[in-house]
This record gives sequence, C-alpha cells and structure tokens, in this order.
Amino acid sequence: MTWEPKIVYIMCSWCGSGGAESASAYGLKYPENIKPFRVWCTGGLDPAYILRAFLEGADGILISGCHPGDCHYDTGNYFARRRLAALKTILKTFGFDEDRVWLRWVGHSEGKRLVDTAIEFNEHIKKLGPNKI
Amino acid sequence: MTANQGKSTVLVYGTNMSGYRTIYALGKLGYKTILLNRGKYVDEVKNQVLSQLPLDLCWACAFGPQRMFVGLGALNVFYSADILEIKGTPGNYKVKIKKKDPYVNNFICTECNKCVEVCPEGAIEVMPKVFWENIYLINEEKCTKCGKCEEICPTGALKLDKKEEELEVEVAGIVLSPEYVDVDKGDLEKFGYKVFKNVLKNSDIVRGNIPTSFVLNSLKRRSDGKLPQKIAIIVTPQYNNIEYEDFNTTNIAVYRAVRIKELHPSADVTIFMRNYRGFGKGAYKIYERAKEIGVKIIKADDVYLNELENNDLEITYKLAGKQNKENYEFVILVTGQKAPIEEVKKFEKLCKIKGDNHGFCYIEPFTNNKTNIPGIYAGGEFTGPRGNPETVWEGYDIAQDILDFLGKPVVSPPQPPPFRDVSKEEVKIGVFLCSCFGKFNDKIDIERLKDEASKIPYVTHVEILNGACTPQTIQENAKKIRESGVNRVILAVCTPLQKLMKFRKTVMMGGLNPLLAEFLRLREDVVNVHEDKEKKLEKALSLIRAAALKLKYALPFPGASDKFHGKAFVIGGGVAGMEAAIRLAKRGVQVTLIEKSDSLGGIAYRLDSDIEGRDLKKFIESQIKEIKRNENIKVYLNSEVDSIKGYAGNFKIIFSENKKITHIEDAGVIFIATGAKIREVSSYFYGKNPNIYTQLDMEKAINEGKFSAKSVVMIQCVGSRNKAYPYCSRICCSQALKNALRLREKGVEVTILYRDLKLYGFKEDYYKEAVNKGVNFIRFYDDNYPKAGQTENGFKITVKEYGTDEEKAINCDALVLSVGIRPDIETNKKLSQMTGIKLFENGFFAISPGPFEEAAKKLMKPFELQTNGVFPIGMALSPRTVDESLLTARQAVGQSLIFLKKQRLPAPNGVFVSEVDESKCVGCGYCVEVCPYNARSIDEVKKKAVVHPFLCDSCGACVVACPSGAAFIRDLQDKQVIASIDALLG
Ligand code: FES
Repeated sequence: MTWEPKIVYIMCSWCGSGGAESASAYGLKYPENIKPFRVWCTGGLDPAYILRAFLEGADGILISGCHPGDCHYDTGNYFARRRLAALKTILKTFGFDEDRVWLRWVGHSEGKRLVDTAIEFNEHIKKLGPNKI
Repeated sequence: MTANQGKSTVLVYGTNMSGYRTIYALGKLGYKTILLNRGKYVDEVKNQVLSQLPLDLCWACAFGPQRMFVGLGALNVFYSADILEIKGTPGNYKVKIKKKDPYVNNFICTECNKCVEVCPEGAIEVMPKVFWENIYLINEEKCTKCGKCEEICPTGALKLDKKEEELEVEVAGIVLSPEYVDVDKGDLEKFGYKVFKNVLKNSDIVRGNIPTSFVLNSLKRRSDGKLPQKIAIIVTPQYNNIEYEDFNTTNIAVYRAVRIKELHPSADVTIFMRNYRGFGKGAYKIYERAKEIGVKIIKADDVYLNELENNDLEITYKLAGKQNKENYEFVILVTGQKAPIEEVKKFEKLCKIKGDNHGFCYIEPFTNNKTNIPGIYAGGEFTGPRGNPETVWEGYDIAQDILDFLGKPVVSPPQPPPFRDVSKEEVKIGVFLCSCFGKFNDKIDIERLKDEASKIPYVTHVEILNGACTPQTIQENAKKIRESGVNRVILAVCTPLQKLMKFRKTVMMGGLNPLLAEFLRLREDVVNVHEDKEKKLEKALSLIRAAALKLKYALPFPGASDKFHGKAFVIGGGVAGMEAAIRLAKRGVQVTLIEKSDSLGGIAYRLDSDIEGRDLKKFIESQIKEIKRNENIKVYLNSEVDSIKGYAGNFKIIFSENKKITHIEDAGVIFIATGAKIREVSSYFYGKNPNIYTQLDMEKAINEGKFSAKSVVMIQCVGSRNKAYPYCSRICCSQALKNALRLREKGVEVTILYRDLKLYGFKEDYYKEAVNKGVNFIRFYDDNYPKAGQTENGFKITVKEYGTDEEKAINCDALVLSVGIRPDIETNKKLSQMTGIKLFENGFFAISPGPFEEAAKKLMKPFELQTNGVFPIGMALSPRTVDESLLTARQAVGQSLIFLKKQRLPAPNGVFVSEVDESKCVGCGYCVEVCPYNARSIDEVKKKAVVHPFLCDSCGACVVACPSGAAFIRDLQDKQVIASIDALLG
C-alpha cells in the first residue's frame, strides 16, 4: 500500500464547516485521509493542539476559518492568523518544516475552494514525505 | 385601536431583506408571520442582495432564520403565492391569498436524489442556487405525472397532488417587501448587454464565483476565453435613466476593481462613473486604496459602447463636453434597479397605498416604513433605492411599528423535557447510524460499519436508523435512545448547520442533555465527498472513535442564565437620541435621557428644512414635546456621564448634572447618540471676511434677511475626504443644492465647485432641477482645490476644471463653504473607554468591520447582543441624513425590545458557554481582554474571572488566552480536543 499522509483538517463551526457542507451538497470529492475536526472558531484553537498533533505523528494540519472580517465572533480569525505565524516561527527554530501547517480561509459557500485546498495540501504533504518526529 | 385586540399574526408579502428581518424580529417577540413568496422556491424571485451580489459571496445565510422559525411554528411560508384581496381594518385585516405548495416539501426532503434517478422524463431539476441546501423542483412541462417519484420518495416529501389553492387569512397588519426589479438586456441596450460578447454584469461574474470565492476564470472573455488585460467597469445607473443606484453601487464598482487588481495586478482597470457616491467611514478608504493600486477612475458625463471586430469594446465617453475614445477587452456593468411600478400599481388597487413620483412605494415623511394606509407597511427596495444594511434595519422598524396593531404574543419556544441524571452512571455510548432512508446503503457498507463501531471502547450499542430528520423518524429515534439505555449518543447524520435543532431535539426527547451527544457528519464528511468504499469505512470509524473519546469527557450543561434590567439609558438628545427614547417609552420601557447642552434637538435643529422641503423644525419640536410629556422618560440637561460599570443587562451609570449633582442609574441597555458637530474651518479666510459663510451661516443670514450677495460660489468638500477626515459627511451636497435652488429663486448667480455629487437615488432630481434653473457646476480634481483671492468687492475664485484642465476664474460677492461634520470625538473617546465599543480613528463608533459586512454578518445569528447592550446610533455611528439617523435609532430600539422585557436571559446559543475553573484561575484578566463580547470580568472580591452567560458565544478565545488553564468551553475541553485529535491520527 502506498503511504498516505495523516492529515487533520481543523475547521471553525461556521464558514469552515459550512464550506465542507457546500462541498458535500455539490458532490465534490477530496482524499479520504483528510479528517475533519471542528472547533467553534479558529480563534479558539490553541497552537499547543497543533504541536501535540505533530508529536503524535500528524503529517500535516490544515486549518480553515472564515474570511477576514467574516469571523462569526468578529476577530477570532485574526487571532488565529497571528498565533499561527508565531507557531510557524517556533516550528522553524525546532528545525521542523513549518509548511506542514496551512491556514486558508474558506467561506460558507465555498465548497469548491475547500476541496481544492484539501487536494492541494495533500499533494504538498505527499511531496514533503512522512513527519519524521 | 388599543393593543391586545388585534390578531397575533402578520402577513409579509415578498422576500426582500426587510421582510425577512420583520419575520425574524416578530418571531423573537412571540408573533406569528405568514410569508408569501411569489417564486416556486426560496430564491426564485431575487431580492436586492441576491440580484446585486455586492460581494463575492452568496448571503444565503439570510434564509437561516426562516428555517428556524418554520421549525418553531412561528412562520408559515407559501410559495407561488400572491394576494388577491385585502379587506378589514388595521389589527383585523382579512386577506384572500392564493398559493401552490411545492411538490417537494423541502423541510422533509433528504436530498437522496432517488426521484431524479427514477424519473423517465428527466423532469426533476435540482436548484443548487441556495448553496448548501439543494432544492428539488418538478418541471411541469416535462412531467407526465406517472407517479414513480412519489412512490420512491422515502420520506413522503414529494407529493404530486399539489394544486393552486385560495384561502383567507386574518392578520393584524401587512408588510410589503417585494423584491428588486433587476435590469436585463432591453434595459441595458445602451451598453450592449447580451449583444456584445464581452460585456457582463457584475452579478454574472459573482454568480459564477460563488462556490470558489473570486477567481480569475470568471473574468475570461466570453468570445475567446482569453484573460483580458484592459478592463472597463461602468456604473450604469449614472448613464441610464431607468435605473436607480443605491449608495453602494459605486462602492461595488470600486470593490470589484480592487479585487481584480489584487488577483491580476498587471491588468489595466478603469471605472467609468459620473460621481463617486460612497459615503461614511469605511467606503472612502476603499476608494483611496483603489487609486493607490492604480485603478483609473474617469468621471465621464456619458458613455457609449461599440463592439469591434475582435470583440473588443470601444468606449466613447464625454468629459467636460469633449469626446474621447478608448478600447477595452472586457467590460463589467455595475447595474442598478428599476422602479417596482407593477407591484406598486397592484397594491394601489388592492389596498389604496400610494406610489411616489418615481414609481416606488410612497412612505410618509420622517418615517422609514409607513405607507399612507395604517397597518400596511413597506420596506427595502420596494420603497426606493436602499443599501443592504438599511434594508435589514427597516425590518426592525416595521416589526416595532406593527406592534401598535398586534394582539398578544402567541409563540414561545418549547421547553425541553426533563433530562435523566447520568452523573452516577458509567459511560455508555450509543452509536446511531443514519442510513438516509437507505440512500447510504450503496455508498458505504453500513452493516460492517455497525459491526466495527461496536468494537470501539465505551460503545455499548450500535443501531442503524432509517432516517433522522423527518418528524416521524425523530420520534422513533428518541424512543430508540431511551430504550437502548445509553447515556451518551453519537448521531452519525448529515448537516448539523442545517438540522441542528432536529438532532438536538431527538437527543433531548431521548431524555439526555444535548451536550451528551455528538452529531457526526456521516454524509458531509464521508459519504458524499469520497469515492472509495473501503476508505470511507475507515474514515467513518476514525470519526466515530474521535467522537466517542470526546463524549467520554462530556459534561451536561448547567443551563446558565443571568438577569436583564428592563431600563434604558440614552446619551444625547438629538433627533436620534430622542427618537430612541420616545420609541422605547412607547413600549413601556423606562428611559433616562441625558444631554450635554442646555437644550434638546441637536445639530439637526439648526437646519430649517431639508432638500425635500419638509418642515424639519416642526418634526423636532414635536419630538421635544413628546419627550417632555412622556412619563416614562426622565430628561437631564447639562449632564455628562462620569462612569459606566457592569455589562449588558446590568449597567450602572453615574452621571453628573450641571457638574454638581451626581446621579446613579441602572439600565439594561445604553444608547449612544452623541451626534456630530459642524467642523471647524481654518481655510479660505473663514472668520476673517464677513462674506465667507458656511452653508449653515448662510441659511441663518438668509433667514434673518441679512444676505444680499448677487453672486455666490460654493465650494464642496472643504476639509472633507482627505487624510484627516477620510469620509464624506453625507449632508453637504443636499444642503448646497437646497440653498442654491433657494438663491436662484432670488435671481442670485450660483456656481458650485465640487469633486463628486453624492446625490444617489431620488436626490438626483434636485441636481437636474438645479441645472435647469441655471446653477453652474464645475468639477475640480480631488487634489487640486479651487483657490480664492479677495478683491475689492468680493472674491476671485480660480479653479482647474476636471477633464479639460482649463483654468477658470469666477468673480463673486460671497463665498460659501460646505464644511461637513465631525463626530464629538472627545465624548466618544470617553464613552468608548467606558463601554468597550471601539472607535474608528476618525472618532465614529466602529460597530461594523466594513461597508458590506454590517448586514451580512449579523444575519447569521441572534445578534441583538452583538454590541453588548450598547447601541451607538445616529451620527455617532457615521455621517447620516435625518431619516437615516432616525432609522438607526428605530432599528436599535427594535433590537433591544427583544430582550428588554425578559428579565432573565439564557446563554444565546442555549447550550454552550465558556466557564472558569476557579481553583486554577489567578484573576490575571487576560481572558477579559480577548473576549470579543465583554462576556468576562474579574470579580473584585474573589479576584477570579466570571462569565456573563448570555453575552458569551463560546468562541474559545478565552481558553487560548488563559495562561493557567482555568478557562474552558464545556463541549470542547482540552482533554476532549486532545483525545479526539489523537484518535483521528490513530
Ligand atoms: S468563526 Fe470562523 S473563524 Fe471565527
């Protein structure tokens, strides 16, 4: 069997999850190894969870929330953006490929965008190969 | 008519946003509504938002409340419906209507697609236009009524025996909110729409983009598929007499140009418009940004289009009288709306409402929604060109006014049944797999899924469900949950975003607290989005494993609630503040109104009449009289706020009167109506020469008979729309035109020097009138203001004319400056600190992140508490006309009424709320800082954080910010997240 990356797709409950529902309504397909996990808002996502996921062997973490300005809770996605930037620097100093985590905004109606992102990320992680930790 | 005699139902005709919002507000206040949709499905007839699509998103969330209120029994929607006859009196209208129910009841349909597959004629169509919800329609021309679809429909959602019916309904009032009349080929002949290949409407482009957000593909030339380099955007209503533009139309053009430049930086983008008409705080910034990134804006007097052989477009445009030509590869039309003449005529006959002289519905002066017939209201694009936020606000205004005729509230949210106490039991998880009426059977091996799932730790029961969303299956499933004896439930179903209430209800009827359940999206995350059956099974199992671990740690919710004080506090006694106080008092709310100065009336009281010639003074005087008369209102003049403590529902305000006497008041809500000031002027020798006036000075001089100039030059936008004041004040253009017309009557020569004339909608008429009456207009460049020199008996003004670049000189006896307004920055800053409501740099309250989002965001959720019980209104919010100021006050009152009478409020989403583990909390206050809702504060005595439940919306910001792990969300605790993610990776 060929190697398939372990990817968790963290979505906020509004736009992110909405995007997944639109994808389903349109019947769009993406790889099975991408597993969704719902948080209320990307702003409520503790970077520690991401670090831990990498330690537990995740090959990639994908995060989607509402577009800037659209966060259901006003500013959560801005917090997320800043935290993720910080997390990436930390990952980098550890010598870990910071590109294993992506943050992409997906609107409620943007099923296609969600699926495209998932496929693109999967390909990207496949190129990077397994997480060596 | 006194209250409580009328019926408790309201009839809403048409699906514009004001109608939807009326339904929403009335539903929340406990009244029933009937919605007549002329279309066969929800958005067949498109309202303004769906016609215009101002952003690259679809706004379908606007329909959210509709589903919810149908579910609660507060709303009845009829399709293919119309009004046939209206009889009776306000409070007791008898309305004869016709309707035809859709063949497919969308409320029960599970989108299994079986009907489409079985139909031999291919007569069943799916309308995916309302994004996440597919709507099944039967094409009557193709359908032979063979009945196969009805037979195969697993839920009984499809019934072929639907006929047109007539019925009579009894209602207290009627709301007319028919939709936008969009323009099409015939109306856009001048621009070659649907004739020239590469001419598209902006909405066409957005519609193609909806599933993806804006992408360059949608810009490809329809003639040859190439990506164009040279693109023109034309604001058509400014060149086409039958179209009306709203205040957002030019903004849409600018927004589109910016989006194109962002994705396609090398493109050459030009906007053709006569005037840029975005006003307010945010809009002008986007305009500036467009110019910065190289968007060209040509303020042409007229444009003509021609198609060339290679399908390029040749645009001929007039600029200050001269003809110019330029070729473009692609043209985008930003269009407006037509007057709803047919609909107005229909209601003129049905109920004697009047139309206005443009063909829109007539609205009584100084109201935002009252037709000439009591008990019949109109809103949104039916009453004139409207911005989307205004349309939504009008819904609140209508809901409130209609209370005059409504009887007792009749709808109350159902109380959940008692829950089983499971705290002493071991964890027993039941997994219930929905088969979607057998539809999943061939897409996933559901039997094997059942077997495998039963091996998962803590799972004691697995069962396959027939369905999970029809009334019958909900009953059955609740019974199954009860009988299985489990104390945690995984419902593997479809979409919680759409059907959450149903799933929650199932669990609650099963005797369990809904926080002891997980709703797993078997269809959304597995069945529909993957191909490989084996892998689907694997994925489904890992999702179930993750959900099981999450449930292992689940805590039932405590049912948190808090008290809500029923009084209101209004800061500022201008038109907006007074209107809010009067409206609240009318509904029995005790109001305290304080005013900084020694008299009521604010800035508007200094203007005598507005451009429409209505008597503003008289209106304000009537307001003042009412304020003084009404026993529910206490007024304090010469008063200022010293401090505001507390949070929504529980404010304590300390203020001082005459700087001496200190008062303390409790209030549930605060209205900030600090208004605006005429801006100080320092340019153009103002104050140094008696013949230089502001518009207001001149009005005063004319009224006092002291104005004798024979020639006048007016300069617009003095000190406005620049770095220091990057917004348009909204009122000066109308004021200048009003005064110019008045001066022309006296034979005075008038020249108006301007950058843009912001007279959207009907106000354009006054411009035409001014031109006819001989007012001279000269446009100047944004960065090249006219120069004034003093002469012996007046002034010599020199100006470089836009377009021709000619230097023109005008002599005049008097110079009039349109200086605009500024917010009361000092007071606003103070109040902003006290309430936590942010200010824009320019001193207006920032309750909206952008010009569009204002409406879009707020449609998604119960948002009355979005601003934490503090409502900035009127000019404290942004520059506004009197009517617009009144509307902000009325809509805020509409919002606050929803909870002012409640005394106690639960957490807004009913279930989840963030909490504090007091043993860990050190009272550092980080959580208080990050909370977007002011839902947390530090208890001064205990030095621990406290959560105010109905303000919390469970976003989780506090959880991340808390350094000691004391903050948590009940359904997403640390251990739950970690365990679930581990399971997903396992
Ligand atoms: S809710 Fe979607 S990012 Fe905040």
